[in-house]
Amino acid sequence: MWNLLTAGSDFVSDSLLKFAESTGVAGFFTQMGWGSLAMIGVAFFLMYLAIRHKFEPLLLFTIAFGMLLTNLPGANLYHTELFAGGHVHWDIFVANAGLLDYLYLGVKLGIYPCLIFVGVGAMTDFGPLIANPKSFLLGAAAQIGIFATFLGAYALGFTPTQAGSIGIIGGADGPTAIYLTSMLSPELLGPIAVAAYSYMALVPVIQPPIMRLLTTKKERKIKMQTLRPVSKLERILFPLVIAVIISLLLPSAAPLIGCLMLGNLMKECGVVDRLSKTVQNELMNIVVIFLGLTVGATATAEAFLNFKTLGILVLGVVAFCMGTAGGLLLAKLMNCFCKEGNKINPLIGSAGVSAVPMAARVSQTEGQKADPSNYLLMHAMGPNVAGVVGSAVAAGILLSFLG
Amino acid sequence: MKMLIATDWGWSEMLWVALISICLVFFVLVLLVGVMKLFGCVFTARQAAGRPAAAATGRVVVQGQLHEEEIAAIATALNIYCSAMHDRESEVLTILSIKRAYSPWNSKIHGLTQMPDRK
Repeated sequence: MWNLLTAGSDFVSDSLLKFAESTGVAGFFTQMGWGSLAMIGVAFFLMYLAIRHKFEPLLLFTIAFGMLLTNLPGANLYHTELFAGGHVHWDIFVANAGLLDYLYLGVKLGIYPCLIFVGVGAMTDFGPLIANPKSFLLGAAAQIGIFATFLGAYALGFTPTQAGSIGIIGGADGPTAIYLTSMLSPELLGPIAVAAYSYMALVPVIQPPIMRLLTTKKERKIKMQTLRPVSKLERILFPLVIAVIISLLLPSAAPLIGCLMLGNLMKECGVVDRLSKTVQNELMNIVVIFLGLTVGATATAEAFLNFKTLGILVLGVVAFCMGTAGGLLLAKLMNCFCKEGNKINPLIGSAGVSAVPMAARVSQTEGQKADPSNYLLMHAMGPNVAGVVGSAVAAGILLSFLG
Repeated sequence: MKMLIATDWGWSEMLWVALISICLVFFVLVLLVGVMKLFGCVFTARQAAGRPAAAATGRVVVQGQLHEEEIAAIATALNIYCSAMHDRESEVLTILSIKRAYSPWNSKIHGLTQMPDRK
């Protein structure tokens, strides 16, 4: 009996060693083990921000959980090599893919951001923009940050395609940033998504100092004229006209703008209430889960823990600040040509950076600090939704040049 | 002339792309401003033309054309009015058990409406 047991001791030790090596714990002692550990720390930190401080919790929470899953050694939920070189390697996909690889196809093929845009369109009221079309200009001015950062990123050593993806953070529009990055430089998807959503959550912290710096108290007190009522027919025609014009001029922006306007038409036409409610709630929530998890999964230690990520975070905040300043300054410039009584409160210009509806709320808050009887929210919603259209247009232009 | 791919771009190409892109963003959005202004003119004229007719028929307010601020003011006024009208209840709920003895008057079977017998 003893002999039998001692004869099998080598087998037992080999088996135990093999088992120990197969566990995730052993993975922490490999070459990039420390990196995985650090990324798990980052995931916990982001989850803390989402749960404790409610920083864009819907997406930051799921992104953080995706980040946690992908960095658990041995879990094999996501494989970067299946998407190496910006292509899906179908030949080895089925044999090697994990759960998150399958879900990531929705990002890689540009499906999730477009579905999110259908929901965003169904939840957006374009009434203030229809009533005051000048808001489109403020939405355009706020995109200056994108192109300034595009040049800044190139100066820091990023490739032109990477620079385009980093610049789009200034659009303050998560789905657009993810869509463009997944097309141009998927290797940066994790850091760019985290930067975009983190800064969107920090809009109330980033924007007010710039708003106060670039405007006088007298300008912040300007009361704007009441917006004209918008008829139902106008609301129905708006998405159709915008989708046709932009898709004809910029076919590369058609997926985003088309989906945004499809959602809006569902809401405004009033005959497909069931569909409208579904895209606003069930579809949106399901896609947010998939999008967040898979974008978080791309933030592996190799992709995230480098100086490029630091550069992206710095450039992202620069893009936000420049976009805010662009909107404010154009509003001030427009005031030079407006008659007395028809002036624009420059504070609504900062809402042109998208980040719906947070940026509009910041304009309202700052306006009320200067004059508590001033209500800017509806006026700020115009540039705010114009910013969504503007950033989608900017993404389409960058895609057509760089793609 | 051979077109450079994005990876081979230098500063000159980058500057041009940035400039052209921002101009294009402005061009597209200015075009939309023009289209929407045109829309606004047409619809405002239509509304102005329809107003006297509406007043004559007594339908001054058309559904969907009430201004948001007016809706908010009406809703607030109604809320204040209703909260002032509402009498305060004790907010104590009591469930009293009531003994119901059988009677043909509360019997479900006997209480069912008979379907008319069509002949």
